[in-house]
Amino acid sequence: MNNPDGISLSGVYKTFEGRGKTVEALHDVTLNCPPASFTAVIGPSGCGKSTALRIALGLETADKGEVLINGEAPIIAAKSGKTGVAFQDSALLPWRSVRRNIEVPLEVIGLNRKAHASQVQAMIELVGLKGFENSLPGELSGGMRQRVAIARALVTEPTVLFMDEPFGALDQILRRQMNVELQRVWQETESTALLVTHGIDEAIFLADRVAVMHGNPGRIVEIIDVPFARPRHPDLFSDPAFHALTDRIASVLHG
Amino acid sequence: MARMPTSLRNVAILLLIWEITGRLDLVASGALPGFSEILIRLWEDRADYPLHIWATLYASGVGFLIGNAIALIAGVAFAMSPTLLRLFRGVNITVFALPPIAIAPILVLTLSGMAPRIVLAALAVYFVTMTATVIGISQSDSRASDLVKAYGGGRWRILWLVQLRSALPTIITGFQIAAPNAVLGAILAEFGGGGRWGLGTYLLGSLGRGEPDRLWGIGLIATAIAGLGYLFFALISWGLLGGTRAVTLNTATPVVEAVSASPLKRTMMLVGIVSLPFLLWWGFIVLTGVPAMIAKTPFGVIDYLFIAKTAPVAQEKLFQALSETLPITFAGMAAGIGFAFLLAISTRLFPNAIRAFMPVALVTQTMPLVALTPLLVLIFGRGTSLTLWVTISVTFFPAFVTLAQGIALVPRNAQDLPRAYGASAWQEMRMVTIPASLPYLFAATRLTVPRALLGVMIAEWLATGRGLGNLLNQSRGYLDFGMIWTVAFVSVLLSVVMYQLVVVIERRVLRRLGMQTAE
Repeated sequence: MNNPDGISLSGVYKTFEGRGKTVEALHDVTLNCPPASFTAVIGPSGCGKSTALRIALGLETADKGEVLINGEAPIIAAKSGKTGVAFQDSALLPWRSVRRNIEVPLEVIGLNRKAHASQVQAMIELVGLKGFENSLPGELSGGMRQRVAIARALVTEPTVLFMDEPFGALDQILRRQMNVELQRVWQETESTALLVTHGIDEAIFLADRVAVMHGNPGRIVEIIDVPFARPRHPDLFSDPAFHALTDRIASVLHG
Repeated sequence: MARMPTSLRNVAILLLIWEITGRLDLVASGALPGFSEILIRLWEDRADYPLHIWATLYASGVGFLIGNAIALIAGVAFAMSPTLLRLFRGVNITVFALPPIAIAPILVLTLSGMAPRIVLAALAVYFVTMTATVIGISQSDSRASDLVKAYGGGRWRILWLVQLRSALPTIITGFQIAAPNAVLGAILAEFGGGGRWGLGTYLLGSLGRGEPDRLWGIGLIATAIAGLGYLFFALISWGLLGGTRAVTLNTATPVVEAVSASPLKRTMMLVGIVSLPFLLWWGFIVLTGVPAMIAKTPFGVIDYLFIAKTAPVAQEKLFQALSETLPITFAGMAAGIGFAFLLAISTRLFPNAIRAFMPVALVTQTMPLVALTPLLVLIFGRGTSLTLWVTISVTFFPAFVTLAQGIALVPRNAQDLPRAYGASAWQEMRMVTIPASLPYLFAATRLTVPRALLGVMIAEWLATGRGLGNLLNQSRGYLDFGMIWTVAFVSVLLSVVMYQLVVVIERRVLRRLGMQTAE
């Protein structure tokens, strides 16, 4: 155990009770993400992929099974600042400026934000928002807000990065641009990343491995390796091999 | 900015009509003086006003601060603990529904000095701010809360970093609506007796002298104070938050998610919900230490009404009063809400006429009920029609504002669909507007039930000499303490039961129609 997996779910079960109906959100889910790897989880709406991510984050607890982040319990990893997270629709606090939004994780973990001012500035520059430090979220475009969310996820220099459909609210064109930027940023941090997404092309472009889930009960049906070399160029989106892999994942998804 | 001159012009026309009708004594032989006559009288009485205004301002201001402080703390506690919110449901509904005029006399009996006025003002603001706090906190962005949680932040961290700040606009809207309530509460307590100063005392003293111009003057000043309080928080919310907000608030106790608990637990909770208000009543009497002769506990009321030698007489008096009060309350409420509903759904047919009317409706929301009643006495005399008109006027405006704002929220697409198939305005109304406004009709009814009873009791107390309000006022004169407490209890109970009845019907109907309860 000298080099534990970045994210490790083994034999995880989760059931929700509601209005006399029980929904088995996760059924025997096992997923191991080696350090510095990028894993995408893809599946239809309601298949439990977000639940898996929330359990790995420690926002929900599993009924059964083991969840480890860098070999530690999720909540301990969270409090030590080893995890970063970006949610769908950026989830920025509308009354805080870009800089103050990026500082939120520092405040929660209890780090001095003055001491980390240069780190915050570096993150703002990394995501290309120099000059917008004091803008409010309402003054930014959708893509810029999403970049703030990414910067916020990275500010604690996490070794594990969680993303729940971070670009779900963006249009296709903007989404591709953000995918390219995310790849660049992630490669600089060398963190273990878990991306939950609806988009097959987004999953293939970014990930080393794509875990395909089916719903009812929520389970992983196949884990598919993505062989393309890094750094990946946007031209990849029109590569025949890319399309072949897209078709293969689509057939597993609908199979 | 073209609207400003138009509304100024409307106000000018209104004042001109007022002045002419007043000067010519067209309304009820001089009950409505000309606007300039009122201003002249105000100037002549100017020496009287400062002390009265100060007394009312002081009581409502202190009550506003205390009531809101308690409401904020309670709201945060309720938002953090749904169990606590459920447990206090009985207390919260009671505070919301109680007619202040019914408990003013018992506060005067048990407390001294300015305390009754302050307590009543505090009670008048509590529910609005508490509800605003709970709703504001529970409606804050759950993803932002998740973010804090994902970094290991606890509940207090989430409350501090995310929820309180995002609840701020709602809370300030709560303050805005609470400000006129505080003034109303203070004035009603002044009616209940005690003290030389206060606009309520002044009003009561001037009522018997038949001087319309002075009564109108006092009414205008009371309205102005309430309106300034409303405006003050409206400006804060404008400047701080830069946006327009709803001017009415949810009158429902925040929805508690149905928890599947065992029957035993549910029964215990129900017992707790019902008994908590009585416990607070009992505790209040013990704490104030007023002798049992004057201050009645729940047992004291039962004794007075059922066991004591005089019980049959008391029962007869009470039933007589109830038979006078209840029919007129229902009639007035039905007329007020019905009229508001008709007018509100016709906003779709005559949008411009209604838009012009809306500011007037909003102003009347800040007008203290008590200031209105004496004026209506002047116009309609002291008969039953007065009670009816007071009730209609106190229910119509809030119901109209709630309904009109709700109907304005009906999605454009929903209306466009029938229209796209060539539906007439009437068909569109039947298919979309009326069904879509049902939740707001219920919300408006919930809002106006307690107001209707309050309006009737004020009219009875001040003018007509019939019903519960009069029985309460008379019992004060006879020092019939048992009856004072009994009437207070019965009218609060009545209000709570009627409110709860509306809530139950609302849930049934809306659930069947697959609709959400409106805010």
